[in-house]
Amino acid sequence: MGEVIVITSGKGGVGKTTTTANLGTGLASLGKKVVLVDTDIGLRNLDVVMGLENRIVYDLLDVVEGRCRLKQALIKDKRLENLYLLPANQTRDKTAVSRQQMIDLMAQLREEYEFVLIDCPAGIEMGFKNAIAGAEKALVVTTPEVAAVRDADRIIGLLEAAEMEAPRLIINRLRPDMVRKGDMMDIEDMLEILAIDLIGVVPEDEYIVISTNRGEPAVLDRHSRAGQAYRNISRRLLGEEVPFLNWEAGSSFMARLRKLIGLG
Amino acid sequence: MFSSTGGDTGAGTREGIVIPAARGKPGADTDNHTFLVCRTVRSGQRFKYPGNVVVMGDVHPGGEIVASGHVIVMGTLRGVVHAGAEGDEKAVVMAFRLQPTQLRIAGYITRAPDDEGQNGTGEPEIARVQDEAVVIEKYQPGGEKRWLSRSMIQEEEEQNG
Repeated sequence: MGEVIVITSGKGGVGKTTTTANLGTGLASLGKKVVLVDTDIGLRNLDVVMGLENRIVYDLLDVVEGRCRLKQALIKDKRLENLYLLPANQTRDKTAVSRQQMIDLMAQLREEYEFVLIDCPAGIEMGFKNAIAGAEKALVVTTPEVAAVRDADRIIGLLEAAEMEAPRLIINRLRPDMVRKGDMMDIEDMLEILAIDLIGVVPEDEYIVISTNRGEPAVLDRHSRAGQAYRNISRRLLGEEVPFLNWEAGSSFMARLRKLIGLG
Repeated sequence: MFSSTGGDTGAGTREGIVIPAARGKPGADTDNHTFLVCRTVRSGQRFKYPGNVVVMGDVHPGGEIVASGHVIVMGTLRGVVHAGAEGDEKAVVMAFRLQPTQLRIAGYITRAPDDEGQNGTGEPEIARVQDEAVVIEKYQPGGEKRWLSRSMIQEEEEQNG
């Protein structure tokens, strides 16, 4: 029986899809059998970030409505053998699936895969409710901005109301230099407000823009800072104790990081 | 005869934009009627027509054209096109710039190879099924008669005995 984990945030644009793609690829590169499910019906992006858009024939809706078998809709990743994607439909909207259909689908997927990662749409409406319906665990993504943290807090409340296991937090796009100057919320501030466990901090990284545009997850790039962070989160998801990188390390931050990834 | 104008984004409807069946010969599933799309087909929009489709505009990634006959795009084709959707292997797809996400003709599906960045020559190209594979070649005026009108010629021949 696999784990079904939903990646959600409330606010849009904080990196749910990028996180889903990178963690899925990270887990698969650690040898796990992983399937990524895009539940953002009508605004699908995960296929583009994974570079698999041109392979889509059937989608999630075709599966739940019985137009194809689950296996036909699953797209095998072009880099990793044990990674699959179930794309969303692009022509319809979130009301096209029901909670029960999602629960059934996830039950089917977890039979075969060790990890089912669900990319949740932004918002708290039907799309969100469907996305969390079949999940047992949640990762909440936020950026160090007041608005994103506020929305994350709202989402955590909704997840608790849905009686989900305690969600864990991913802080995305952190800029240690700005935190040092006091211009950006620091990790402690956010943890105090949100009061949930931290599973990882992903630094702002130009390479993410390049990799998402190319459809190649940064986690596979050994030189990407964000990629390193995603590799660590993947290992923590497997239950490993991975020490947190010292993001507040002052001026030696870059030097330490270079050393860490073997450049210094 | 049929035309579709702005306003309808396709959201909330069953399949984006579905055009009513053409008024062809009674009983015929497909015919040689042609639907003219005078707009850009954007992501999430889907045109389905039992005949030929001509798009005077571009088809963006995430946009989809499904026709039982030929599909001609007077612009750049970057989305998904399915020509001969009812099984007609003689159907062709033509575009000023043929750079589809995915190209389907009857039961054949093809896509650009992964290592190729910007495919396409910048010239009008035509895709058709030849020897059980989709082939793409430069569009040559006159040469298209073999393909575009073959079904019509056959039909005429049949009628003339």
